[in-house]
Amino acid sequence: MGYLGGSTADVYSFAVYYFFWVAITVFAFGTAYRLAKMVLLWRRVVKAEPRNRGVGAWIIGLVRTFVDPIIFSMKAKPHDFLAGLVALHIVGVLPLIFLLAHHVAFFAYWFAPYKLVAETGLWIPLSVTTSTLTITSPIEVKFVNSIWGPLTVILNGDVLAILAILGVAFKIGTKVMEQAHGLRHVRWSDYFSLGLLMFILLTGYAAARHSTGTVTMDVGTYRTVLGFHILGAEILLMLIPFSKYWHFVFGYWYGKLHEWYDLRVQKGLV
Amino acid sequence: MAEAAPGPDVRKLLEEIKRNISWEGFQADRVEKTIQEALATLDSVKLHFLENCVGCAACAPSCPYYYVSEKYGPVEKAELARNIYRKEATILGKLLGPLLNAKKPKSEKDLDTIVEAVYRCTNCGACYVSCPFGIDSGAIIKSILASIATKSGRAPTLIAVFDVIEREKLFLKIPSFMYIWNEVMKKAEQALGKPLPFDKKGAEYFLLVNMADAMFYPDAVIGAMRVLDRAGVDWTLPSKPFAFRPPIAAVIGLFKQAREMLKMLNADISKYEPKNVVLLDGGFVYPWLRFQMPKVLGRRPSYRVLHIVELFEKLIKEGKLKLNQTDDKVTWHDPCQLARRGGVTEEPNFVLSAASKGFRKLPHHGAESYCCGGGGGIGCMNMEMLEQMGKLLGVSSKDLVAGEKELEFIQKTAEHWTIAVKRKIDDIKKSGADIVVTACPVCMHSIAGGAQLYGLKTQVRHIAAYIGERLQ
Ligand code: SF4
Ligand code: SF4
Repeated sequence: MGYLGGSTADVYSFAVYYFFWVAITVFAFGTAYRLAKMVLLWRRVVKAEPRNRGVGAWIIGLVRTFVDPIIFSMKAKPHDFLAGLVALHIVGVLPLIFLLAHHVAFFAYWFAPYKLVAETGLWIPLSVTTSTLTITSPIEVKFVNSIWGPLTVILNGDVLAILAILGVAFKIGTKVMEQAHGLRHVRWSDYFSLGLLMFILLTGYAAARHSTGTVTMDVGTYRTVLGFHILGAEILLMLIPFSKYWHFVFGYWYGKLHEWYDLRVQKGLV
Repeated sequence: MAEAAPGPDVRKLLEEIKRNISWEGFQADRVEKTIQEALATLDSVKLHFLENCVGCAACAPSCPYYYVSEKYGPVEKAELARNIYRKEATILGKLLGPLLNAKKPKSEKDLDTIVEAVYRCTNCGACYVSCPFGIDSGAIIKSILASIATKSGRAPTLIAVFDVIEREKLFLKIPSFMYIWNEVMKKAEQALGKPLPFDKKGAEYFLLVNMADAMFYPDAVIGAMRVLDRAGVDWTLPSKPFAFRPPIAAVIGLFKQAREMLKMLNADISKYEPKNVVLLDGGFVYPWLRFQMPKVLGRRPSYRVLHIVELFEKLIKEGKLKLNQTDDKVTWHDPCQLARRGGVTEEPNFVLSAASKGFRKLPHHGAESYCCGGGGGIGCMNMEMLEQMGKLLGVSSKDLVAGEKELEFIQKTAEHWTIAVKRKIDDIKKSGADIVVTACPVCMHSIAGGAQLYGLKTQVRHIAAYIGERLQ
């Protein structure tokens, strides 16, 4: 059963050749469902005359709409800011997902325009000392000269994965603390979402190094670990429209643009 | 203020209100009906507020009531609405229930928790601008939760009384109210030295003095008239109040009634065909008349709505309003409804800079201004207010509460306010100002009370009173 030497019983092949389509389908339906709900509930209303403070104020307002909460969080909750926004989002998960060399290759295969990222060299290497797939490769170890220059010291899979893992661990810890304080916004599904992300990061980290940290993997184990990594990512993809991960695809952008229009354009808040 | 014996109208009103208010017990049918009504008002924006919160709690420290307890953080309070929404309107919520925090209020305690959330939120909008996702938790708390609370019977009796007084225009029949009104008009006439230009048709500016304006800051009413008179503009005002503090129903989440009130008010104003309607009240009255009115009417009104501070700015720029500039160490407190929810942030700075060389902004101003902690009905929830209003209505303060439970709730709310106001007072202290100028009766009351509590010697003035005293 299967092709390219894969079999459905092999987790790697199952994830890459079979479940991939299930995940894409669920994601597409979920996305359509969420967007349709928004569209169906949209109501046309007569708006008040806007307070016109000029285009300059709109642009400054747009920047402030995005930046103000970040500054606020930096001042009011520095720990959350560092772990949640910086480690987890800005230098952790986002560049890892979209710029890690392996992911770039994968995305470019499925989505041709993404080749641009590969061709412009914007990808980030797996580690600071080698751009090959693994530190166990019998290749001379030397500093990677990526387009990011000295920034490569940070912008590499090794460092970013560790930051992202720390960020997720902090978030899980925060949830546990908040729940212990009796705060009601913590949901069991939060643990599932964050746990899944942690699982993806750990399996990705292990697979990329062909090592679990203590044991060096044989090819079979590598395929299994990588298979779990991909499977985890696919489950997350399916979860996006039905969970807090929707914020990245839609919630964040809609929310901020709506707030900008409501407060800055319509009401003229400066 | 004058005391009065309760007229038959007041008695009847109180009896009727109390029949609908029940702070005890849990009537499942009634709660269920209110939930359905609240969810029927969902639109795409509210859907975004309900669905896209990631629970990061980044909004928490923006809230004045977070400093009372972290369980009053915006996300915590809004989560109560999300619980209901998930249970009622999402497939996964129905299937997985508690795993997704999908549940409806089932007991007296659950309903009490909702009421507590409603009256630990001033609808200041600070959570809206501090949320990285543009989620207005306050809007959810003050719409969905407030309407569930009030329609289930849990409304502060005093506000419910004022709502009916407003919508039925009972203030016209209550002698103590009309006494206050007439006194203010008499004093204004003396100050101007000529008859007031009541009820003129087609005037450029219609100064919409409401009952609450006359009650809470008579000097501001007079100040505004002095400015209009001195600026030589074509203005008028109503000879009798049209409303108490319109639309007061909105404060307790009765949006249908609030809309009816706005329609009525618009009809009253429109008879005079003014070009501009000028408000003194920078509380919820401003965003409702300025931004909600067109939605309610289904068209833009035939006049423009502006706050007196916007008019002052315009008159100064046109050279019609000239001020004696002083050295007062004066600052401006942005009422949340005028600034964050109304966009009027620059105008007061301009006006006060023209009035005093000593004008300084507060460390937190404009979009980042600290809330005074008194809005959203909280300012009415203290014994002082109950006693004052009781006197006016000719009843005892006890007649203005529905029982022991409401009384305890009011006392607890007042206690919590003392913590919520502190951040504002500290901000004012840091500014070094001797005079705080603002434009909302609740802010004025809250800041004056907070200043007294925390040993800050400062005067609190309405902008119209302050400017009215500095005319050249
Ligand atoms: S309302 Fe916004 S800031 Fe607050 S918890 Fe939700 S997403 Fe975070
Ligand atoms: S609107 Fe203001 S008071 Fe209400 S939850 Fe948000 S920050 Fe707190």
